[in-house]
Amino acid sequence: MSEQDRTDKADKADEADKTDPDARHHVTSLLMRESLIDRELQRTTGGDTPTFRMLPEARVVKVGGGSILDRGRSAVLPLVDEIGKALDSRTLIIGTGGGARTRHVFSIGMDLGLPTGVLAQLAIADALGNAHILGTLLAPHGVVAIPPEIFGHLLPFFVRAAPGVIFNGDPPYSIWEHPPPIGRIPPHRTDAGSYLTAECFGCKTFTLVKDVDGLYDKDPKKHPDAEFIPEISVAELRERKLETLPFDEILLDLVPRARLVDRFQIINGLKPELLIPALDGEHVGTMVYAGDD
Amino acid sequence: MSVDVAQELLSGLGRTLVEGSLTDAAVQQQTAGRVLPILPEANVVKIGGQSMMDRGREAMFPIVDEIVDNLSRHQMILGTGAGTRARHAYSVGIDLGLPVGVLSVLGTFVSMQNARILHYLLAKHGIPFIEPIQFPQLPLYLVERRAVVFFGMPPYTFWQQNPAVGRIPPHRTDTGSYLVSEVFGARSMIYVKDEDGLYTADPKKDKNARFIPKATVAEIEEMDLPDVVVERAVLELMGNAQHRRSVRVINGLKPGNLTRALAGEDVGTLIEAD
Repeated sequence: MSEQDRTDKADKADEADKTDPDARHHVTSLLMRESLIDRELQRTTGGDTPTFRMLPEARVVKVGGGSILDRGRSAVLPLVDEIGKALDSRTLIIGTGGGARTRHVFSIGMDLGLPTGVLAQLAIADALGNAHILGTLLAPHGVVAIPPEIFGHLLPFFVRAAPGVIFNGDPPYSIWEHPPPIGRIPPHRTDAGSYLTAECFGCKTFTLVKDVDGLYDKDPKKHPDAEFIPEISVAELRERKLETLPFDEILLDLVPRARLVDRFQIINGLKPELLIPALDGEHVGTMVYAGDD
Repeated sequence: MSVDVAQELLSGLGRTLVEGSLTDAAVQQQTAGRVLPILPEANVVKIGGQSMMDRGREAMFPIVDEIVDNLSRHQMILGTGAGTRARHAYSVGIDLGLPVGVLSVLGTFVSMQNARILHYLLAKHGIPFIEPIQFPQLPLYLVERRAVVFFGMPPYTFWQQNPAVGRIPPHRTDTGSYLVSEVFGARSMIYVKDEDGLYTADPKKDKNARFIPKATVAEIEEMDLPDVVVERAVLELMGNAQHRRSVRVINGLKPGNLTRALAGEDVGTLIEAD
């Protein structure tokens, strides 16, 4: 919308406010009296203004629960050392997954007939436990797990006060989680929550740390002949209909709608030397990008 | 977890979930099954922001009286919309280029103001306003006082997803209220607005708009309407719902409509998943 259009519209809105017998009491604004569901109206909110980046220098990294933390010291301690080195000159926002405990609580909850939203609420505790495990190991660097209730609002403050923060990667969807198309597993898990953090705060990179080198055409743990995919667009990935993905599949819906973070990289956390290059945007695993549709 | 421990402690489903991939459709299929209705007697009722609350006493006093009249017969979980102040905040935020997650925070504040207002109108009947963190007390309040007030916005805040088009947060108070009805397996989801229900176009702008008393989500999609009476996300989510596979939209400016809707009568527009 041009500046002139905006002024015209606001003038019209003022005018209408004086003369319209509409019994609703409005506040004058460009969206006044409008249906926010109207497609035409939604299009006008695309905007020429670039989206503001709150934390352009911070890097978001999600450390896998089942893939890394559940493996214990052999996997976690070398990675913690590397995170420590990265923190010397970078601001990190670290999300954690829930791992085996989340899978377990899902199975118990499902057996008892609990709905998706309740499963999502229960899972938060597991990722939070893992955030505290990682937070303990990174405490010497001043990096601790932040309670989810204050994490979002205070994040810009915390990353000025400490070189990094840790949070449970879950988005706060809880009982407001969306029922998935198949079955009952909550679709917005810790990969999605960490991604949405990066997107909203406009962070520099988003990295998923797993226990595989990246994306393969088949699960490499079951198929030794699986072929590695170094980079792929979401559209291509959808077309290939892979049986499993090493990340929350809802990312395929979220990333194409990105305004700020339109790609992510999956790296192997069992090779900790890959972490720093990945945080800096170098291509060392599988890069998944929105593509230009 | 070692395989031995897994074998010993986990059910078949537990083993599948711990050892399998959550992105595998075959694993997902095994997680289907009967879901427990948690609050099957409760009705979720959303009171519109722009459509009801922004009209002030003219619209709100009668609907509050009607809510009170129905307390002896029906449990109600009352959500609130945001309305014109959210539109103002979104306008300012969009002009400044603020991210969708921040707009969502702003919308939440307005919906919370409206929840507080509705709460004070109902306070003398002992009806509390609960924030998301107080939801574990909701069942007690329903049994004791028959109703609670909550803010309709889902508490996604900075984790609100970007919409496919534009920048208005796609999951607002219709969606948040709907998801409450779905997760609790509620008896009904009723949207109280200022139109009789769904029309072929916005009846406030198009005098030729035709009323649609009943439609499935597929039918609405086929009509490809430029505007619909509930957030599109509600229509998308209904298709995946485990419990709440229909919603009703009624005109809250017409006395008796809420009572009829709570009684299960055919009033307004019924939108069904299939």
